[in-house]
Amino acid sequence: MRKTFIVAKHEFLATVKTKGFIFSLILPLLILLPMVFAMGFIPQTISETPQNIGFVDETGTLQTSDNFIKFGDVGNAKKALLENEINSFFVLPANYFETGKISVYSKGGFFSSRPTSSIEAFLMDNLLRESDLDETLKERIKEPANEEVITLNEKGEVEEKSGVGFFIPYVIAFVLVFAIMSSSGYLMQGIVAEKENKTVEILLSSLSANELLSGKILGFGSAGLLQVLVWICSGGIILFLSPFASLFHGIQISWILILAIVYFILGYLLFAGSMACVAAPASTVRDAQQGAVIFTMLGILPMILLSVIIKAPNSGIAKVLTYVPYTTSVTTLMRIALVEVPIYELVASLSILAISVLIMIKLSAKIFKTGILMYGKKLKIKDIFRYLRE
Amino acid sequence: MGMKEKILDVKNLTKSFDAKKVLDNLSFEVKKGVVFGLLGPNGAGKTTIIRIILDIIRADHGEIKIFGEKFDENLKEKIGYLPEERGLYQKITVLECLKYFAELKNVKKSEDKIDFWLDKVGLRDYKKKKIEGLSKGMQQKIQLVAAFIHSPELLILDEPFSGLDPINTKMVKDILLDLKREGKTIILSTHQMDQVERTCDRILMINRGKRVLYGSLDEIKSNYKESLIVEYEGDLGRIEGVKKINDYGKYAELSLEEDTDPQEILKRLIEIVGVRRFEMKAPSLNEIFIEVVENA
Repeated sequence: MRKTFIVAKHEFLATVKTKGFIFSLILPLLILLPMVFAMGFIPQTISETPQNIGFVDETGTLQTSDNFIKFGDVGNAKKALLENEINSFFVLPANYFETGKISVYSKGGFFSSRPTSSIEAFLMDNLLRESDLDETLKERIKEPANEEVITLNEKGEVEEKSGVGFFIPYVIAFVLVFAIMSSSGYLMQGIVAEKENKTVEILLSSLSANELLSGKILGFGSAGLLQVLVWICSGGIILFLSPFASLFHGIQISWILILAIVYFILGYLLFAGSMACVAAPASTVRDAQQGAVIFTMLGILPMILLSVIIKAPNSGIAKVLTYVPYTTSVTTLMRIALVEVPIYELVASLSILAISVLIMIKLSAKIFKTGILMYGKKLKIKDIFRYLRE
Repeated sequence: MGMKEKILDVKNLTKSFDAKKVLDNLSFEVKKGVVFGLLGPNGAGKTTIIRIILDIIRADHGEIKIFGEKFDENLKEKIGYLPEERGLYQKITVLECLKYFAELKNVKKSEDKIDFWLDKVGLRDYKKKKIEGLSKGMQQKIQLVAAFIHSPELLILDEPFSGLDPINTKMVKDILLDLKREGKTIILSTHQMDQVERTCDRILMINRGKRVLYGSLDEIKSNYKESLIVEYEGDLGRIEGVKKINDYGKYAELSLEEDTDPQEILKRLIEIVGVRRFEMKAPSLNEIFIEVVENA
């Protein structure tokens, strides 16, 4: 055990000190920060600046109000627009009531926005003023639906899920697939690199192949877990400080996080074992990558079938993916995001995954021990069955 | 010698890879404090024996006892190993690399020992340098340090002199002799017969997985006929009464036929070349090696 931890420490430090790893920690933030900024702050800035809108009314219906300035003809309005006295103006033609058509004039430019909704609200105010409807009714016409969405589960009970709550496990699923893939990828490269630089034989004269493999799995896995935690925490902090923070108020994410971590650990062990099986007998990183393609494809399959799972989280295909060891981690977390997954399915998914992990660890230890000193030979399927029988 | 403790006892070792038998019923023992030469042509099975001793791979049949016990993971701390396949982590410093290896061998206060050994191999100034910046010979010395760092009782060195210049070869040979004086046991697997001849007490020569020579150097040599050393000028050509000539151009080792008188050979030599040296001596290990392998 002591030697396993020494190897784990060595691999962990060697991984987290690489430029690639540090970049991978910052990369999602580099993407997320501008996105949050673009989605949150820019529209706010624009809407906070009062817009002066001019209008030319050929029907004689509209009245001037706060930001809406009346012009006698299009020429004057254009002049005011060009001199920046107004941000835009529109023309209500004489036949407006028959066609509903208006012309909106604004200046071009990257940040210019057409004030369609403001104009619509202004027109509605003026049109309703003309009618003799009840004031309450007028208010309802202006704002016909103040929505509250209630989701029912299969038993007809109300599910306590916020509209934004689904977003969190969804992101976790993405983070999960990336973290599992990248840390098992690091493991694969680490094994082949040690084989290429011929240090593996020195190591095996100091510790057993099992200790070496478990140290590596632990070391690279910890680096992967660190990656997940950094992403989740920094993403959380950014969202908390962003204008969307209020949307996440009161959402319980602790159990989702715990489940995500359990799925990360089990999913990682499965992929790590598989990667060790292809990396140990390989002579170069390229050989190993070719062997790993099948596992990588399985790993990202839930992402490829994303739209199918979102559309029908309880469909046959989604359920099948829940029971396949290589796809269950991500699929189950995505389904949890969308619907209430029955407990028995959750238990089945975790059990299948755990059993597969046990088999894979046993198999990979045997293949690793034999394969790590193999040069220029290929591992055959019959060898794998022999190892499984032993 | 007979009373000395057995460090390694190998009995009836057999190993096959697929259908190919690499080791065939091989037995030998190594006693404490000796330098033991493990010899054989390429592919003879030397590395396989070493890997089996270290439990890196398993034998199909046979029994091995190290320090009188069956193999146990803890015994690895008593063994130092320099593999034939050389390599170190390239991107880290000499100190980081040696510290890692020392930690795996359970060495306490490893930095003092690292300093001691780096001094001994003349690389103290390179302690903080990245390994990728070191020459091949320097890297080999770092690997030797990795094998010595935990003061092992048994050292297994696979081709320790290959790639070293004469000065470093001498340095390594001196270190090995020091370790022998300290009572350490050394197994030397090499092709360099002159080194074996000068340093090994006992040898095991294997060919195609089988034991072909085994014992002390004197015992082995006494079983072979003396050979004739000639230093000459001219063109040697074929000489009647000589079974085999190992000719280097100015120097030749001659194996004589059974009933040939060396005096007759000297007379014939004087007729065809200018003889500068003429000497009867026990055959070199190199000659024995070539003869054994070629006659196999």
